[in-house]
Amino acid sequence: MRILIVEDEKKVADILARGLKAERFAVDVCHDGQSGWESANTYNYDVIILDLMLPGLTGTEILERVRQKNSLVPILMLTARDGVADKIKHFESGADDYLTKPFAFAELLLRVKALLRRGPLNRSSLMRIGDLEIDRLSQNVKRAGKKIDLTAKEYSLLEYLATQPGRVFSRTMIIEHVWDQTFQGLTNIVDVYVRHLREKLDDGHPVKLLCTVRGVGYSLSDGSQP
Amino acid sequence: MNLRSISFRLVAWHAGLLTGIFLLLCASLYLDLRRFLENDLRASQLRRTRQIANTLLVHVKDSGEAAVARQTKDWYEPEANDRFIRITRADGTQIYISGAPKDGSFDPAEVPMLPQAQAAEFSRKVRLSGGNSLLIAALHFKSAGNPEYIVEFGSLLDPVDTMLNHLFLQLALGLPLAVITITAGGYLLVRRALSPVEQITRAAERITQYNLSERLPVSHTRDELERLSVSLNRMITRLDDAFQNSKRFVADASHDLRTPLTILRGELEILAEDSRLPAELRERAGSMLEEVLHLGKIVEQLFTLSRLDAGEAPSEWTCFDLGELAQTTAEQMSLLAEDKGISITCEAGQPTPVKANEVRFKQVVVNLLDNAIKYTPAKGAIHLRVATVNGHACLEVKDNGIGIAPENLPHIFERFYRVDATRSTNAESAGLGLAIVKSICTAHGAEVTVQSQLGAGSAFCVRVPLFKN
Repeated sequence: MRILIVEDEKKVADILARGLKAERFAVDVCHDGQSGWESANTYNYDVIILDLMLPGLTGTEILERVRQKNSLVPILMLTARDGVADKIKHFESGADDYLTKPFAFAELLLRVKALLRRGPLNRSSLMRIGDLEIDRLSQNVKRAGKKIDLTAKEYSLLEYLATQPGRVFSRTMIIEHVWDQTFQGLTNIVDVYVRHLREKLDDGHPVKLLCTVRGVGYSLSDGSQP
Repeated sequence: MNLRSISFRLVAWHAGLLTGIFLLLCASLYLDLRRFLENDLRASQLRRTRQIANTLLVHVKDSGEAAVARQTKDWYEPEANDRFIRITRADGTQIYISGAPKDGSFDPAEVPMLPQAQAAEFSRKVRLSGGNSLLIAALHFKSAGNPEYIVEFGSLLDPVDTMLNHLFLQLALGLPLAVITITAGGYLLVRRALSPVEQITRAAERITQYNLSERLPVSHTRDELERLSVSLNRMITRLDDAFQNSKRFVADASHDLRTPLTILRGELEILAEDSRLPAELRERAGSMLEEVLHLGKIVEQLFTLSRLDAGEAPSEWTCFDLGELAQTTAEQMSLLAEDKGISITCEAGQPTPVKANEVRFKQVVVNLLDNAIKYTPAKGAIHLRVATVNGHACLEVKDNGIGIAPENLPHIFERFYRVDATRSTNAESAGLGLAIVKSICTAHGAEVTVQSQLGAGSAFCVRVPLFKN
């Protein structure tokens, strides 16, 4: 899978490239609009990550040119602006997804994988992490064969963490998926729910599934995942 | 009445000055007229005395004193004309005295003799027992070969007094009327003159930080008022510029901080998750990451504020029920409160349709509840109430927490304002939550108010106009 990053901030581009390479993607990086457009025009990429503000051609112009070429390559826009009007404008121009800086790399990866239609979206109805079983149809959760009663929010939180076992989810990502963006300033609500979930999930079990990664967020893992 | 107000002082000065001038004028008019009338009377009396002397007394040697007396009586008919005439020889012998006038207004016999050693022509006022006054002119007449005679000619001062009294009455009645008219006129004039000031004041009252683009009305009269409104407008322009600059700064800063924050966050995430690094280093990276996230949160809130400052299009407004929104939000946050042992109750019975940006209003509820939870100690209670009051939907968030001191109350909606000056507690929040609430409310034509008592709790109230079909 080949990914093009068009981002004039060299450090941002560098972090993205390193992270994506570590996930075994082939990555090309361009630092200005003109070379970005030339690369996008020349090679067949599987995903293009496009910054909005670029020297030379702007991200919006590249987006429009790529779509005029009738190319269907998924495009993820990066921006420091997050007005609803901006978002709508770019979705109309053909962007597939949108991320506002500053973002967690984990979220970017999740979105890239979603665009590639592989990876995170495990759609089978039964998920297993170690001795934990989550039935997405009946919303039943069992650990070591014993049923655990969860509230609706606790269940959504658990299901979201279980989509990618071993992956660390930031509080912001969790809030956006389980609550909504108005709770963004309120990351402590995640901590409270995680604590409640952890009590129900891990108490009395030697292997702790719900892990905290300081400063980053939470993950669900039985230690077997990378 | 405000005794120090400019209108009162202007009217008082104006009325006082004019009244003073009027009083002076009236007094001088009265006194002048009296002098003039008396002088005129005196002059005509003296003329008569000279007449008597020069036509009759000159010939006294030939005609005899009795003839003079008779002729005087015939010519002047003093009784019919209410006059007093007396001719006396210098030695005191009276050769003629007029009889009592027909109306009996005075008795000539009462008129005292002229004191000795007076000037040749002399005039005096005599007050008689009947209450009447006489003005009497006297002439010492000397001619060669004749004895010295004193001719006295007098008449009643009554007509002069009557006239003066009438004038006095007129003036005494006219003056208060004039003063009242002057005061009323002055008051109206001052009111008219100050009415543009009133307009300017009212227009200035309307201008707040949210409508600094408005200007005061300018009256094109080329006077102080025009200059006042023009220079006030210039001041508003300068204020506007300063505000715009600070808003632009917030917008630019919150925008430009995003890229470095992204880099910091990315690098630290790599460090914090790098399993090759010792756990202690990863822990430190995690701690830094927490601060970066906190910084990111502040930038996010500033960005929200600057977007609200710039004004949002009402096209994103939808019609929703404020009560339902409050209820669902309270349910979502109830665990946060329960975690601190705080109970949240919600009371929303009536339908409260409003037209607004629902996401933003949810933010209002979230921020108010978050605040209430933060500043209410364990075992406290938070009560949320949505009701309709006078065509408004009223959302009230009431807690029995630590409350806010009166001196802090006016500032709590300001950006970065913290009640504790040390900014030590609650490092989590930046002091922007209530500023965002205020901005959202202002953008929607809603108002947010607060009542609080230190130690007893606070109540925030948001009033939004109800949506009517």
